[in-house]
Amino acid sequence: MEVSPLCIILVKSDSKGDRLLFRYPFQTQHNNEPSSTRRKNPYTLPVVDDLLQSPNQPYSNINKENLTGFTDEVLSSLFAVKTELCNRKFELKVNDVRFVSHPTLLQLRNKQEKEDESGMLINIVFALQALASHSVVKCYHDLSKRMGIVLKYEEKRCGYVSEQTQLMTTAHDDGYTNGPSSAFKIILEKCSLANNIKKMYDDLCTTGLVNLRINRWIPLSFCLPQKVHQWHMRGKIVEPEDIDRCLSALRPYHSLLLLHPLHQKNDFTSLDGSPSLDRMLTQYSPLKNLQTLAADSDLTLTHVFELTAHLVYWAKATVIFPICSTNKYVISPNAPIHLNSPLVEKFSDTFPGLNLIRVISEFSLPTSLGQKCNPLCHPSQQSQLVQTIIWLLQHHLLLQLHTYIQYMPTDNGPLLNKGDHTKKLLTSPSPRSSTVMLNYQPNVTTERTESESGASTVSETPEIPLTKNIILENASFTSAEDDKQDYQEELLLDFPDEERTSIFKIPATNTPEDLKLFAKLCRKEYFQGNQHVEEIMYIENLRRSQLLQLLDKFRDVLITYETEDPAIAMFSCSS
Amino acid sequence: MNLKSKRDGARKEGPIRCIFFCEFHHTAGPMISCQVPENYISKELFDSISVYIITKAELQRSVITVTLHDYKILGFPVRIDDKDKYVRNAFHFNLCFVCDSDARTVQFETVVMKFSEYLVAREMESNFLSEGKVNKKLAPILTQVKNELNNKGECALIEGATTTHLKVCTIRLDPTPVMDHQVPIFIRELPEQQWDLTTQQVTPFIDGFNHVAKIAVLSDVENNLVKACVQNLVYYGVVALIPLFQYGNVYCTTPKLKMMVQDIDLQQKCLNYVAKNPRQLPAIRDVFRMYAAMTRGTTIRDLCVRFNPSNLRINERKLVQFGVLEGIIRRVQKYPVIVAEYSDLHKSLSGAASLDELCCSIGVASQQLEDQLERDNNVMLLWK
Repeated sequence: MEVSPLCIILVKSDSKGDRLLFRYPFQTQHNNEPSSTRRKNPYTLPVVDDLLQSPNQPYSNINKENLTGFTDEVLSSLFAVKTELCNRKFELKVNDVRFVSHPTLLQLRNKQEKEDESGMLINIVFALQALASHSVVKCYHDLSKRMGIVLKYEEKRCGYVSEQTQLMTTAHDDGYTNGPSSAFKIILEKCSLANNIKKMYDDLCTTGLVNLRINRWIPLSFCLPQKVHQWHMRGKIVEPEDIDRCLSALRPYHSLLLLHPLHQKNDFTSLDGSPSLDRMLTQYSPLKNLQTLAADSDLTLTHVFELTAHLVYWAKATVIFPICSTNKYVISPNAPIHLNSPLVEKFSDTFPGLNLIRVISEFSLPTSLGQKCNPLCHPSQQSQLVQTIIWLLQHHLLLQLHTYIQYMPTDNGPLLNKGDHTKKLLTSPSPRSSTVMLNYQPNVTTERTESESGASTVSETPEIPLTKNIILENASFTSAEDDKQDYQEELLLDFPDEERTSIFKIPATNTPEDLKLFAKLCRKEYFQGNQHVEEIMYIENLRRSQLLQLLDKFRDVLITYETEDPAIAMFSCSS
Repeated sequence: MNLKSKRDGARKEGPIRCIFFCEFHHTAGPMISCQVPENYISKELFDSISVYIITKAELQRSVITVTLHDYKILGFPVRIDDKDKYVRNAFHFNLCFVCDSDARTVQFETVVMKFSEYLVAREMESNFLSEGKVNKKLAPILTQVKNELNNKGECALIEGATTTHLKVCTIRLDPTPVMDHQVPIFIRELPEQQWDLTTQQVTPFIDGFNHVAKIAVLSDVENNLVKACVQNLVYYGVVALIPLFQYGNVYCTTPKLKMMVQDIDLQQKCLNYVAKNPRQLPAIRDVFRMYAAMTRGTTIRDLCVRFNPSNLRINERKLVQFGVLEGIIRRVQKYPVIVAEYSDLHKSLSGAASLDELCCSIGVASQQLEDQLERDNNVMLLWK
């Protein structure tokens, strides 16, 4: 789908009538091969059946990416809209061309003050292919609206629009004898507004980033996300909604990965004068998560999120999970790696002596950074390894795998009584349960000795010795076996019977810490495949070893699988 | 692909809210002469947009859609020239469909054009539109068209001995080209109708396991014809294309796997689909475990050894088929790339073609080719 505009048209309408002031591109290529597409094979027989059909085929107004078939008069009459339609979105589709704009009414600044209410309609229309999606249309409407606001302001400030329209009208009147195309040429030489429109068209067609200064005064920046993300993800259209979805899934443990080297940051700090962006970029490192970045640059986390959102939207950065030794990477499914790919050369330019194909082939199977570093490695080698991974991530060639956990207690899966579950969760710290906690604490020591030979306890809570002392004083010494039954029943009271029985078959349930942690994580619904291990670790403040041991002990009811994080994987694979 | 369909779904195909007929009256100018339901489009609104409905000469016979704040109006302005018959030498009219402003209307374009042509024909034959009482004559027709198109998606206008059929055709994306190594599989019943001869000959061999090249051999139909036929079926959403099943294949899970537990309907559908015997359904735990065990580096053969699916009442071929169709798992393809400086294999082993494609084009068993490539130090196998 092509998202570039076919043409930008400027129309005005005032008391003197409507007029198309400028359109770009205006050069109509003279077809040397007249309608070659429609040339028929002289040997074809006319199909007799078709005579009954209506002879006219859907007519096209696009010829080689150019708008054709409309005279300036028709266009101006179409876009000089009635006042009822002003100051709101205007969308018109004619055959296979879609026009979108935001007609703006402005109050003319009259030097002579002879006409009191001389309003003028100014309409900057973008002609797009009709296939352009809803979101593309929305973006262009936004651009037209912004342009309208700028012009309205500039007219109020210094009569910029009256001056420019006057210039253009004169050029049209003078150049009429030489044909309209020559008038446009003169306008382009003389009028700064026409120049701005030309630059806007060129920018939209090449990068999708518009950076203008209207009347050398008001900056106008605009980004067409569907286009601007093309440079780092060829062939994939990134919709604003995709970016929104990614940004709403942003977590403090994620990290920012700039797509440009940091020394080019002047290129994009100019888009936003915010000094906090500068401050954040001085502290930037792809190894830091957003929380650390916020702390280091002394900004609030929400503000760092906003800055990240900004950089991602403008295709200056992408979001990754911070690079660390436990991250597992594989080759991204759509990675354009083949011998003729320009990336191969780019890679060996950046890392002399390395071959992209050889480097990336090591990621055919899920590979973590830790696996690739051996202790004998020289530190410089290690840093080069990190550099190559950063490069591969910047080019979306790698995909990170995360471990997800699914709770599967019985053959038929978890019994779905979620409403009940959450209710229990909210009321769990009841006074009754706290007494139970006190009851079972004393036999921690005995349980410990039992489990010493087998698996060690998962949660090594440092408070145990302390609480034990307190508890030992007022602990009731009932039989240990009864107690165990008791706390188990209590802990999993909110689980259905069937699930409970299958959980109790696991030996690790004899260890209270393990069972407690398991029950806690299960109640918080971490085992529904919605959160990956790293997220659980982050929210619950657990260590990886703790969690992995728990998963291993409860592997009969917990199934793990590895897949990408859908929130941030949108930039690497189009699923 | 899923994302795309969701996005298209956002712009739903809404019903036709109103149909109106407007004409250029020789004294009153543009006006609506018949509208169903009445007064849906107010006079004021019509006046503000009449320039897009009764248009200049250059825009005659173009499909024009105006999107307003609340409505979307789709029309096809027509002019009939006749110096003798009409006061102003020509008769301008436009028949417009009105939909919600956020609805898709592309599918109505051809209907509007054909309906206008029908009116042109009647006007030329019998002055149907210009001799007055348009409202009375046209209202029942417009009502019929509106109701039948909204309810059935098609409508037949019978006038004497001739019948004009109007049908709403959904516009779909062009299907991607079909490759030799892909496997077509029915995702719904083949609609009962008179299919062309090729399709009739090809469809019996579409069983979800035969790839296109094999179907061509089995059905004794030329390869490209099979491809065209399959592509056609893909376009109509009858057939989906999946990768070839082999025990040496590697699959990996996607984030959608969690839906197997969260979505009970999907779960039931899956259990029924993958069961070895429809009367004895497998346990979801076993099915989930098998899916979860699909990682890069684990072939289906390995999984079969580890789980013994037939003991678990699972048909592993169906398991893979269901997973791929629902997007729960994804095939991990191997792409051989040659890294030697000079080699005549540069073209075929450039990394652009997967092992499946290569095997299919040279007619070698994949195991054999893979073994051979693995022995060669200059060839890298990329899994992605």
